[in-house]
Amino acid sequence: MIAFTQIQPIASTAPLNAGSMSKTTEELINLLLIQVERVQHCLQGIIISNQSSVRTGLQQADDALERLVNACQTVGFKGLSDIGLHVGNNIRLFQTPQHTFKTEQLTLLLDWLSHVHIYLPNFNDGQAQQGILKGLDNKQWAEPLSYELLNTLALQIASEIKSISEHTELLRIEKATDADISITLPSDVNQELLELLLQELPVLTQQFSEAIQRLQISGSEQDVMIAQRIAHTLKGSANTVGIKGIAVLTHHLEDILIACSKAQKTPSALANALLDASDCLESMSEALLGFTPPPENAKAVLQTILDWANRFDKGEWPNETIEAIETSPMPDTVGNDGEEPVATTALQPTMVRVAADKVENLFRLSGESITLNSQAQESIRVMKKQLQDMRLQFGLLKKLGDELEQLIDIKNLSGQAITATNPDFDNLEMDQYNELHTVSRRMAEAAVDAREIGLDINREMDKVNEVLEQQQNLVIEVQDVAMQTRLVSVSSIAPRLQRCLRQTCRLTGKQSDLFFTGENLLIDGDTLNAIIDPLLHILRNAIDHGIEHEADRLPVNKPRKGRIAIEFGREGNNLLVRCQDDGRGLDLVAIRAAAEKRGWLTPGQSVTTTELQRFILRPNFSTRDISTQTSGRGVGISTVLSQIKSLGGKLNMESEAGKGLMIELNIPLPLSLTHVLLVNVGQHRVTIANSGITQIHYIGEMSLITANNQEKLSLDGKTYEFLKLDKLLKFSRQSKHNGEYGAILLVQHDDKTTAVLVDSIIDTRDVVIKSLGHYLGKMQGFVGATIFGDGSVKPVIDLPALLRTTSHHDINNDDDEPETFETHDFKLPSVLIVDDSLSQRRSLEQLLEDAGYKVHTARDGIEAIELLAQIKPDLVLTDLEMPRMNGIELTAHIRAQYNEQRLPVMMVTSRTTLKHRQLAEKAGVDCYLTKPVPDEELIVKIQTLMEQAVNKQPAII
Amino acid sequence: METAFNLTNITNTLLQDIAPAKAMIAALIGIRIGSMGFLIPREIYCEMLDKVPVNALPNVPPCLNGLLNFRGHLVPVFDLRVVLAEELPDNEAKKRKLCMIDRGDNAAAVWIDSFPELKDSFYLQPLKTLPPLPPLLKRFVTDGFELDGQVWLNVNYEDLFKALGQQQEVKA
Repeated sequence: MIAFTQIQPIASTAPLNAGSMSKTTEELINLLLIQVERVQHCLQGIIISNQSSVRTGLQQADDALERLVNACQTVGFKGLSDIGLHVGNNIRLFQTPQHTFKTEQLTLLLDWLSHVHIYLPNFNDGQAQQGILKGLDNKQWAEPLSYELLNTLALQIASEIKSISEHTELLRIEKATDADISITLPSDVNQELLELLLQELPVLTQQFSEAIQRLQISGSEQDVMIAQRIAHTLKGSANTVGIKGIAVLTHHLEDILIACSKAQKTPSALANALLDASDCLESMSEALLGFTPPPENAKAVLQTILDWANRFDKGEWPNETIEAIETSPMPDTVGNDGEEPVATTALQPTMVRVAADKVENLFRLSGESITLNSQAQESIRVMKKQLQDMRLQFGLLKKLGDELEQLIDIKNLSGQAITATNPDFDNLEMDQYNELHTVSRRMAEAAVDAREIGLDINREMDKVNEVLEQQQNLVIEVQDVAMQTRLVSVSSIAPRLQRCLRQTCRLTGKQSDLFFTGENLLIDGDTLNAIIDPLLHILRNAIDHGIEHEADRLPVNKPRKGRIAIEFGREGNNLLVRCQDDGRGLDLVAIRAAAEKRGWLTPGQSVTTTELQRFILRPNFSTRDISTQTSGRGVGISTVLSQIKSLGGKLNMESEAGKGLMIELNIPLPLSLTHVLLVNVGQHRVTIANSGITQIHYIGEMSLITANNQEKLSLDGKTYEFLKLDKLLKFSRQSKHNGEYGAILLVQHDDKTTAVLVDSIIDTRDVVIKSLGHYLGKMQGFVGATIFGDGSVKPVIDLPALLRTTSHHDINNDDDEPETFETHDFKLPSVLIVDDSLSQRRSLEQLLEDAGYKVHTARDGIEAIELLAQIKPDLVLTDLEMPRMNGIELTAHIRAQYNEQRLPVMMVTSRTTLKHRQLAEKAGVDCYLTKPVPDEELIVKIQTLMEQAVNKQPAII
Repeated sequence: METAFNLTNITNTLLQDIAPAKAMIAALIGIRIGSMGFLIPREIYCEMLDKVPVNALPNVPPCLNGLLNFRGHLVPVFDLRVVLAEELPDNEAKKRKLCMIDRGDNAAAVWIDSFPELKDSFYLQPLKTLPPLPPLLKRFVTDGFELDGQVWLNVNYEDLFKALGQQQEVKA
């Protein structure tokens, strides 16, 4: 038996190099020293001759050393942490049959630990730094360190002094503050990410709560891991959105759960604290959703969690029966001294999350109600007319009854009584009534009564009509409210556009500012989402092709930084977006060269400027020979045109050499209710929306004149081009209708007014506009269709749009352009994002899409593998910890399956330890990044990895 | 007033009534349009429509007959005979019926020559090569079968209707 009494315990009494250390650093180093002593203690208990003692001692020492390594990593002693990992690896190797563990090895370990003990309080002392490396190249180690590695580590240790003192200031807090529990949303919150967080938050907090409840009952290790993973996800999501209260609480919860997982035990008192924390998380979630105020005990709960986390950091595992800690409420521990807890945020407006299709249905049903109401009103109108006719008939009936009565009276007077009742009186002395008299009188009275009843019915019908009108107004209001649920402020996309601008500027090395006008406009959310991609394309093109480098701008008296202005506005029922840059404008020479190269133009062929400009609208057109991150793939403005056309919109361009380019988008907004004219055109009856119609005239008010060999209509000294609606709609006109145009509509479109001839105007009314549906989409010239009271469907004509489609020089309807838009996506580099957090996934997806990548997403490794069977991304970007299959396992699978193709794998995680990094690298991860990763850095690294994969060079990042 | 019966429900009820030993291995709904037969998987909702007025649309190609109002939903009506480039004899025009395929936003109606039939995929003989078909239709035919001298086609209806709808959009 060998006792190691000769090794002097340094213990916590070792003098600290306190002069240059903050109190926090001092405390931390003391904690690390305690952990060093624990490792020493495990080793000192080893009896070399006893195999069981060796095995147990080494295992315990390995566990204690691992905690020390983690603590060193956290504090910032990266060099020591790396050496500790190496020593730990040796301890594990000593336990294998291939290696022996004798006194020499034990001495090596204890010597190293004593050097660590000296180094920690004197980490800025060169000699102490050398000490922890001493003897690590000894051949007695199972795996001695090479000379090169020793040198590298020596350099690393020497360089980390500054980072240690800085890092220690960022360590775990001891006292919870109001700011730590704040759930106030940041002023620049990303609405989309917030929406996603609000969507997943109730689900995750509930799952966390369930896991903790199960943990309290069974103490299952699996539940600890589930809870830890959820806390990790919540932390990431809350950090992404900027909700500090949830991020801080889940951060410390995660640490506690990791500690429990490693120790494979959970103190019962901690389980109570965890339950309180899960309740608090649920309350925070409800408060964010606007259901309740923020939890009042949040600070107390966080303080309890902090206390536990700090105790675990110090390696204190309480004896549960003695050290059970009270959970909330804990007013004494939070420093409020009995004060009322301060609400950190005002109650959010109450919100209800409803599936979009339900709102759609509500919208549709309200439209149906309006249609049915119109139908009822129409019936009332008809009935009132019928009543009027009936009143006339009653009047006639009464008149006939009166005539009949008179005839009978005359007959009586003429002595032709039907029956003589009393011979003592003549006809003048007493009226003689018979059956005919009675019947005729009753008939006349019945006619009067029927007329009265008719009047009563008429009055009742007026009342019903009034009720129906009120109901109609109510339903219209309902539809309006339903419509408002779809309205979103344009400003909500501004941060995304600004980010795109910054990224593109960095990638191109140019400088530009982006300004918005009319960003407070509220428009339909679907339309707004649909214009994001086109706008991002326009922005990227503006910077890459339009805005010049600083060196080129200054000589032409332009400001150093470029200027891009996006203006949003409404024109009738259309959304108008103008994007103006102050760059060089379209490069017509380059466009011509590219067109000639593609065979669209022959050298020397004469073309107008407008025709040249139109080439950039052709699919796959690019003036660049080399494709870059931002352009040159031929997916520029033609894609924008394709997307705008799919919305039923229009695109216009105005370019001025050296001054810049203006791109104008004109997109129809979805309509709910509109006023229409019912007009006769030939034998057809059509419905025309009133938008764009400025005046209505009878044909007689205008005169036909001939000017410049063209027939025009003249009214009040103004002349108008005219078109016949039947021609516009390609209706065949029967000969009997020729020359019977009765009305003229003056229509404002494209900065001019055109007269449209129709046969007659029958009626005007408000109708509900319905979409033409999934298959027909947007038809040029129609705003949709409407269902009339009789159930018939009528398309509603949008005259300005219909007139635009007839324009010969309409760039949006160039039939010569080959329609090959669907091939665009294949040209984009693609990235597969694998992350279990919805908000993280969406955040990365948005970032990469905005940067010009095609993005696929998967929720975990299994889903990613399923997806990889169908798609071939250019890079996989994965999280580390995920349910079912984590990032390491996924990478290992990819390497086994796709090794030859060298599919680059990038891992972005909050795990900062060397151990995780080494594990990832071993599995085949090409680039391991720890959160937070700046957007630009991520994009640059993705680009580098992709380029390296193309060149088949090993990635070094 | 419209009358309608739900074809999918009727098919399912019919199949339940057949003794298990005799039950069709995989029943499909077959509709005849001109010289071609079209198969519709049983999972897709189908409904026969009778006396539902079809409202014409201006400026659209002849294969799009118009829109019908199906309980507040606008359903496009396609004439696949036009797509097949086959003439419709005058005496058959009045016999044609409307069959609505799918429901809600995905619903579209087609003119069919006679009542739908139930087909058992077990007896359908796969065709090695498809008969000559118009290019617009051919893109959406996934496979073809033969049964008693009649060709039956499996079609991706959603994509076909979308293409027919877009065709009108381009030409409008």
